[in-house]
Amino acid sequence: MECEYINARIRGMKRHLLHPSIYETLILKPDVESIITELGTTSYKEEIEKASIQYTGITCLEVALRKDFTNAFTKILGFMRGDESEKYIKILLGRWDVQNIKTILRGKNIHVTSAEILECLVPAGELDETTLIELIKQPDVKAVIDLLATWGISYAKPLTRSFREFSDMRDLAILEYAIDRFYYKNALKVVKGENYDDRIVRNMIMMEIDITNIKNVLRMIRDKVDVEEAQNYLIDGGVVLNTDKLLTMVKSSTLEGAVKQLEPTPYNFLIHVPEEFFRGGKISVFEKELEKYLIKQGIRQFLGDPLSVAIPIAYIWAKYNEITNIRIIARCKTADVPEKELRGELIYV
Amino acid sequence: MVDFGIPIGAGIAFGLGALGTGIAQSRIGAAGAGAVAERPESFGLMMILVAIPETLVILGFVVSAMIMLMLK
Repeated sequence: MECEYINARIRGMKRHLLHPSIYETLILKPDVESIITELGTTSYKEEIEKASIQYTGITCLEVALRKDFTNAFTKILGFMRGDESEKYIKILLGRWDVQNIKTILRGKNIHVTSAEILECLVPAGELDETTLIELIKQPDVKAVIDLLATWGISYAKPLTRSFREFSDMRDLAILEYAIDRFYYKNALKVVKGENYDDRIVRNMIMMEIDITNIKNVLRMIRDKVDVEEAQNYLIDGGVVLNTDKLLTMVKSSTLEGAVKQLEPTPYNFLIHVPEEFFRGGKISVFEKELEKYLIKQGIRQFLGDPLSVAIPIAYIWAKYNEITNIRIIARCKTADVPEKELRGELIYV
Repeated sequence: MVDFGIPIGAGIAFGLGALGTGIAQSRIGAAGAGAVAERPESFGLMMILVAIPETLVILGFVVSAMIMLMLK
């Protein structure tokens, strides 16, 4: 792609990302209000000022972060509108659409309040905040899917197809798996080519598939799902883990056994997770390690070809990392989490 | 008979230099515009960077002048 202009702008935007030393300053702040004041001196100033008119405390911060995040991605999409590279960014941002829809479905399934669901959303994809708020307003899972279908949003297709199975089994994993598989299948279809941009986006997606599969396998082992059923929840198309390897992991039936199978793969860092988490079956620790790896790999793309889609990809991950870390710090401060634990919760500094 | 070789050679030396400059400046210019849009303070530096490929066309001009004058 001809992206000198786009990549120069994104590199300019990269300079506005927070320096890691600011995380230190934020961690040492006593409360959310002082975190907001500190962020008011950074590139978040504008959004914090706007949000502080209507809200205070953590809500003000959440609103400002969400708005800033959305603005950054809308800006990138704006640069690429009409360019060949638009398809790559749409694929990458689609990840957040899928995540948001899944969050809304989860919320509706367990009858969480709209405000709580909204707090967990990241409106970075094509479904903007207004669209997501409308979805949240729906009374149940069925209504959310129906509204998606009415708007002609493509994700309604797999959800509608799997809804009958979901209503029989009342297992949300059926819908989550259906939407995941639909997204990855479509994404891989778009980046079939052998040029640098296609290859780089394809590798990122394939890595995400691997990571989603590993997370699914670990959950299935924890929930003691049998191998035949497990087969239905695995996604094809990963880099190093095909269905056979994943099923061998499920067959090992313990977290230690499954993780041991990952030794010859790039995901062998999971072996170093402290033993107590294996025994306790605390999957969230493994999920966080995998998420951290994905973010690191995404940010590493800054080292790729400076005139390729690698730079926007890296920026998207770097921004996501920044917002996630600020959110973690703010939430830990609200919940009075000790500093040591807070540092452990941070995804990547 | 008129010898066209010398002016054609001079033309190629100058023309290719100009073409190279054009290609380089178009890409640097686009990137420069992007950088200045995000960081207006980098305008001065970008002006210098956009001007650097001019050396190619100047070099081409010098070579073509040398061809014309020395091979006459």
